[in-house]
Amino acid sequence: MTEYFAGIDIGSTMTKAVILDDGIIAFVIGPTGPEQRRLANKVMEDVLNQIALPFQSITYIVSTGYGRINVPFADKQVTEITCHAKGIGSLFPEAKTIIDIGGQDSKAISIDANGRPTDFIMNDRCAAGSGRFIEVIADTLGVRLEEVGDISLQSKNPAKISNVCTIWAQQEVAARLAEGVPIADLLAGIHHSLADRISRMVNRLRVEEEVILTGGGGKNKGLVRALSEQLGHEILVPDKPLITGALGAALLGKEIAEKAKKNNVPLETKERLLEEIEIL
Amino acid sequence: MAEEQKAKEHKKRRTATHAAASIGPMVKEAIGGTVRARAEGTHKIAYTFIVCQHDEILRALDVVPVWTENYAGICGAKRDAERFLQRAESLGFSRSLCTYALCGLGFDQWREELGEMPPDAPWGGQARPDFMISSGQILCDPRSKWYQAAQQFMPDVPIYNIDLPYPLYDPKRDHREVWGYYHKYIVEQLRGLVAFIEEQTGKKMDYDRLKELVALSDKTWNLIHETYELRRAVPCPMGTGDAMNTMVPMVFMMATQEAYDFYAGLKKELEEKIANKEGVVKDEKYRLLWGGGLPSWFALTDFNYFNSKGAVFPAETTYRMVQPLYEMDIPETDDPIEHLAWKWLGYWTFWYDKARKRPGSHPDVEWLIDYIENYKIDGVVMHEAFSCRSWHVGLIWQLHQLAKIYRPIPVLVLGEDGKKKEDRRELPSLVLESDIIDITSYSEVDTRNKIDAFIETLEAVEKSKIK
Ligand code: SF4
Repeated sequence: MTEYFAGIDIGSTMTKAVILDDGIIAFVIGPTGPEQRRLANKVMEDVLNQIALPFQSITYIVSTGYGRINVPFADKQVTEITCHAKGIGSLFPEAKTIIDIGGQDSKAISIDANGRPTDFIMNDRCAAGSGRFIEVIADTLGVRLEEVGDISLQSKNPAKISNVCTIWAQQEVAARLAEGVPIADLLAGIHHSLADRISRMVNRLRVEEEVILTGGGGKNKGLVRALSEQLGHEILVPDKPLITGALGAALLGKEIAEKAKKNNVPLETKERLLEEIEIL
Repeated sequence: MAEEQKAKEHKKRRTATHAAASIGPMVKEAIGGTVRARAEGTHKIAYTFIVCQHDEILRALDVVPVWTENYAGICGAKRDAERFLQRAESLGFSRSLCTYALCGLGFDQWREELGEMPPDAPWGGQARPDFMISSGQILCDPRSKWYQAAQQFMPDVPIYNIDLPYPLYDPKRDHREVWGYYHKYIVEQLRGLVAFIEEQTGKKMDYDRLKELVALSDKTWNLIHETYELRRAVPCPMGTGDAMNTMVPMVFMMATQEAYDFYAGLKKELEEKIANKEGVVKDEKYRLLWGGGLPSWFALTDFNYFNSKGAVFPAETTYRMVQPLYEMDIPETDDPIEHLAWKWLGYWTFWYDKARKRPGSHPDVEWLIDYIENYKIDGVVMHEAFSCRSWHVGLIWQLHQLAKIYRPIPVLVLGEDGKKKEDRRELPSLVLESDIIDITSYSEVDTRNKIDAFIETLEAVEKSKIK
């Protein structure tokens, strides 16, 4: 009988779910709302519906991300550090450094050959080191977020953005735009500024190749290039950079279940029930 | 109102030792004592800073010290600093300055404006000083600027500033080549302080009494060292969470019999715990080093959170303000002032010789290495408190240096051929970010998320360790 494992990653901006048997068979990505518990239900329902799988058939569920405690049906909660390490380790066996640029925070993780974290550093203090920074600037420039990377790559003369705070940088960009500086140059400048801040954080660890970039930041080609220049390392990006945490969570679930089977101990799980949640 | 409620709801921290639990009332009494002394007018009161090597001088001249950093810390721990910080901000001081100083300045200005203690002042408030003793040392500019700023509200209160340098570390030089000059200079500074206090109090220094007090605090120093060394035991009988309380007699009550008695009691308590194999946590899994940084006084329960994950802190560099005197080769002298100056130099240069022997090392890193080795440490935790540069500049650098010169954990990793091979791995580290008393800089969710991730990292490292 096929066994299925689920990983659900409630990030600050996006919620992701992955279902696994031998490989990924379904995944969903949706925005994280204020009602995380309700959302966890919905995302789980969506991903199960994709493959018409009943909830009862999931062997083990691991939740991760900053909202991991708000997943009532999760069998285990694991931090995103361990889950990213596991997920990336499975996709890139040679990976040594992971950089995760999320909506509200960014982090860097050193991992060993077994996909285990050996050290990490997190920035959760300041929007200027996260995807939120790009979002605010894209909004100011009237550019769609998906286009930001491609547009910035057209720049021949990146603007120098000197303000490090998101709010001040936003004003600076607006002022430079009024002066006639092309949007591509402004975006390239913003990517350099963000890459500069992130690389300073990452450099607190020993940065070794392969360096992998995950999270929403991985989808921004301009940022990937700027960061690669700053760090002096080639940066690899997984196919679906947003789901590596959820993938890692599902893989950890699989590992736990296999270990229990091997040691002949019962697997402790929660009831497979999507709770009705009343928040308000 | 809601804030008050929140402060009340904030649970008390669980301590592992009776000694740490007894500190709260002791500090309360000490602060109350300064307020009483002010009201009774029996003693002269001085604002001053900890770790200025002048405790014995103050006590010998019957000066009651008001440790202004302590009072700010109390406001922070009681989660009642915000109103004083805001007041200081409204006076034009930036929130990015030392928040101890801001809290103190906000408090003082309010007290001076009202002519009485601000409403509901924590533990009865901070007594008005007769004079202030500031100090130039380490990188702390607030120590020389704070009281100058306070003179805006208390122009009648004089300041005396002492300067306490020590030779900087140079791997190519023996510090003893120059410490004679430093000694001379510090002795002059301390003699100047004595003259100033004599003038302020109208008393003459009794050098025999001073000598006795210096001997008492020397005795206490060595006792503290021996007491804290007991924490090497597995399971560890007392962690850094408690040490953040038991430091009180060390930094605020030196040269008093109470301080000596306190550590004698603590030593006994720890010895009993060790004999009964009683640890801070039931199943000790990880032993961590608090590698630097003042703690968030309002979030000491984070230490309990570490404990709940099986992690304990047998050692810390913060507030471990003593090194054994019998291991310092400082010159003998009969003059207590000269001895105080030697003690200062001996303390600050304590790790120099050891650091010099390890290429690429530095005294601050050598200190970490010593603890890592002798206390069987599995990971290092540091706290970057944004508002205090003095103790926090260079923490990350220390971690970097540590990683460069010290890779102690033998582990098995998968080699390129897919076979397991031996490697050595540096210690995992965690850098927490917040402040000493500014609670607006703190996020419990983020902090605990980081702690969870750190524990998982330690677990992962543990799995690959070669035992
Ligand atoms: S800057 Fe640091 S060392 Fe100086 S007074 Fe403030 S907290 Fe103390």
